[in-house]
Amino acid sequence: MLDYMIYILAFAVGSILGLLYSYKKHGEPYVAVNEFDMPSAAVSIIGWCLAFNAGNVILQAIGFLLGGLIMGERPGYGRKETALGLILAIGLYVLLKLTA
Amino acid sequence: MNLMAEILIQVIIAFLAGSLLLGLHRKVMARVQKRPGPPIVQHLIHSLKFFFKETAIPKTVSKVFYIGIVFILALVWIVGVIAGPVAHDSLLILFGVYAVYKIVEHNSGSSSGSPYGKLSCVRAVLSAATELPLFAAIVFVYLVTGTMNIGQIITYQSVHGPLIFSIPLAALMFFMLIITKSPYSPFAITKDKALISGFETEHFGFLRGFMLFSESVAWYVMLWVFLTIFFGPLNAVGYLIGMIVITFITGFINATTPILSPNHSVMAQITIGAICFFGTILMIFTGVVA
Repeated sequence: MLDYMIYILAFAVGSILGLLYSYKKHGEPYVAVNEFDMPSAAVSIIGWCLAFNAGNVILQAIGFLLGGLIMGERPGYGRKETALGLILAIGLYVLLKLTA
Repeated sequence: MNLMAEILIQVIIAFLAGSLLLGLHRKVMARVQKRPGPPIVQHLIHSLKFFFKETAIPKTVSKVFYIGIVFILALVWIVGVIAGPVAHDSLLILFGVYAVYKIVEHNSGSSSGSPYGKLSCVRAVLSAATELPLFAAIVFVYLVTGTMNIGQIITYQSVHGPLIFSIPLAALMFFMLIITKSPYSPFAITKDKALISGFETEHFGFLRGFMLFSESVAWYVMLWVFLTIFFGPLNAVGYLIGMIVITFITGFINATTPILSPNHSVMAQITIGAICFFGTILMIFTGVVA
């Protein structure tokens, strides 16, 4: 169970850091953002792919931290990037399972 | 692993997972109501924040009781974690946890000296209607599996399949308890907004922090018990998906349903409980349940 605690802790810390960072970056009142942020998408894809497929506690924890960083951004930001990251990571997981 | 370490790890997991799930619950409710809603991590941040806030104690409180009750509340749910996810012990201990929780809810309101807390404390007695279907659900699980031990119930399900398929109405009774305990529930008469925050109204600072900690752990334990005794042996991913799905369903129900008045709430719970109880008895006697 220790590994699950590390993952969930990493995800929570990542989410809090993501929230702090995005409020610092976007101070404006709530707007529904439709632009796609490439750097955030890259972080999200790397994060979720590592979280689901790394097979190593430390790398997976880093993955959850990075995934949480984008998913935890203030409301209106990081949604599409998170969705893309999750879809690719789950797709990769299924692909690896099928080819194993 | 050392037992104490196992308990500590499970309590931390229960707190973090419960907080994130309750955050998700608020998010789902907000999206259903076309609001952006708070970030998912907000409930966790709130819980942590209260531990660092100034703690004010009103003059009207019964001091020892007022302070002691929040520690008992936290302790009650830690016992829930130990009896459930850690030891896979008897369901009766978990029923005891719910019973004590009801007493704590009652006493937390009465010790505050506030009219809102006191009204909530009276309603806590009324809302004991939720515990009757829970007890009935546990009895049916015992009748079918022949055991109260969670570990043995898991083993039974790994051989005979999940209990949700054999006693679905008992699962529905348990699910009603989950709806009742979820935030902004139509049955949450003790936390009706007409009573501010009900029995929690007069608890500030780290005392409220302990209450929020207990709320998160309670949510995790309830979902864990429900998934374990009705959905058979699950792995971590199964639990995660199950908990997220149930949180989504309760969030959707609570976002679209107004809070009921106390008498309607109790009548609705007892009616649903009675239908499920007699339905399950009928299923057992007609041989639908093997």
